[in-house]
Amino acid sequence: MFLIALNRTLLFALQSFWRNIWLSLATVFVVFLAFVSVNFLLAVNYVSDSAINLVKERIDVSVYLKPEVRESKIAEIKTRLESMPQVREVVYRSAQENLDSFKQKHEGDANIQETLKELDSNPMGGTLVIRAKTLTEYPEILKALDDPTYSDLIEEKNFDDNRLVIDRINAIADNIKKVVLAVSLIFIIIAVLIVFNTVRIAIFTHQNEIAIMKLVGAGNWFIRSPFILESILCGVFGCFAAFVFLYPLLSLIQPYISDFFNGADFNIVGYFTDNFLVIFGIELVAIIIINIISSSIAIGKYLNV
Amino acid sequence: MIHLDNVSKKFQEGADALKEVSINIEPGEFVSIVGQSGSGKTTVVRLLISEIRPDVGKIVIGGWDITDIKKHHVPLLRRQIGVVFQDFKLLPKKTVFENVAFALQVSGATRGRIESVVPQVLNIVDLSNKSNRYPQELSGGERQRVAIARSLIHRPKVLLADEPTGNLDALNTKDIIDLLLKINEFGTTVVMVTHNKEIVNSLKRRVITLEDGRVTQDHKVGKYII
Repeated sequence: MFLIALNRTLLFALQSFWRNIWLSLATVFVVFLAFVSVNFLLAVNYVSDSAINLVKERIDVSVYLKPEVRESKIAEIKTRLESMPQVREVVYRSAQENLDSFKQKHEGDANIQETLKELDSNPMGGTLVIRAKTLTEYPEILKALDDPTYSDLIEEKNFDDNRLVIDRINAIADNIKKVVLAVSLIFIIIAVLIVFNTVRIAIFTHQNEIAIMKLVGAGNWFIRSPFILESILCGVFGCFAAFVFLYPLLSLIQPYISDFFNGADFNIVGYFTDNFLVIFGIELVAIIIINIISSSIAIGKYLNV
Repeated sequence: MIHLDNVSKKFQEGADALKEVSINIEPGEFVSIVGQSGSGKTTVVRLLISEIRPDVGKIVIGGWDITDIKKHHVPLLRRQIGVVFQDFKLLPKKTVFENVAFALQVSGATRGRIESVVPQVLNIVDLSNKSNRYPQELSGGERQRVAIARSLIHRPKVLLADEPTGNLDALNTKDIIDLLLKINEFGTTVVMVTHNKEIVNSLKRRVITLEDGRVTQDHKVGKYII
């Protein structure tokens, strides 16, 4: 009995969708635009988060040790630093590695090369590169390095925190998010109104049929449900169309985004694929709920059953 | 079978459609309700199918007090009452078979039941050979017979016919009245609302006359007298 009713309701809903095909397609298109903009918002979110993480990865404290500090002392300092709860990792670059790197960097500078040759010993000390677990923990680490235990052995500290870059990325991402959020909201509101109007027109188109259905004893839900189902169909079709459209679009723009961030490995398509069920599921459920509410209001207002 | 007890109904426009109307119709009766336009005939039909509610009074059909019937019970009531209108109320894009089957479809009948019951009903109204035709391919009388077939699909105890011959010529009118009499002979109570004097007089059945929303005459073997 339930399956028969469901089958017929679906049939009536499809008939109604087909009879007002242009209106139905317009509704599907607006739902599609709403989904494209919402998913674009997600993509922007993903890219900005990835970019910020990328910059965060590059933040560290470089501790240049005095040349006379012995390797054993350096190993001791390294172990102590590694035992701090705020520290994620400490990488040691020896004095020789630093010298080689310096020579390589200034390969073309004859003066520097000549000066280095004249020196008897390596003027550079070793370097400890410290990475914190989180950005907020760097001040704590810097404070620890000011302790006389360390400070007497340190030639110089270099903390390039890139906060300005992070702030800029955040600001740009926030602005883009605000615009996309506003556009998404506009499309969602338009989608709700269009669904409402589609159901309203469907009710007027089916006035005769509804009158006859009432006359021959159709249950109220049997009369109402095709209109609700029709609105759900518009939402589902719009949602599917958006995902079918988004995948090729994201694949197309992905190389440009990677180039923009100097070849960083941003996999937007991968992000949508990995989270497909969550994103698609939530969006589908959301549009179904929105359309049920919108069509129920239209039915309550225009369908007198 | 049908009891209207002191029923009054006033519409928003302020005019009294029915004033203290009491009617008692026994099972198996064939009753004509007559009166001029605006006398309240159609209001009686609308009250009986719970399209509107009375302001005052009580309505009972087959022992069921429908005066304050709940909305979700109305479909159950309408499956027990067949209704036929002057304008047939058929779906133009459905065939004769589909129009009749529609009444069963919307009440959740299985395909097997539809395929067994619809031909039987079409046979009663003598339209078996035209089951694949569309309403616009039929005469007025045939369209009304489709509407009657549809109204019989739930095997109702009561058939309400609101001006069933209003759009028909004399020949088709006679066919429809004969069909209604045949249905009545099967035991269905028939209530026909009409202002066709010749039909009412030829029937020699009970006639209830309404004037200005009041019952002015009620004769077991009546005539159209206004």
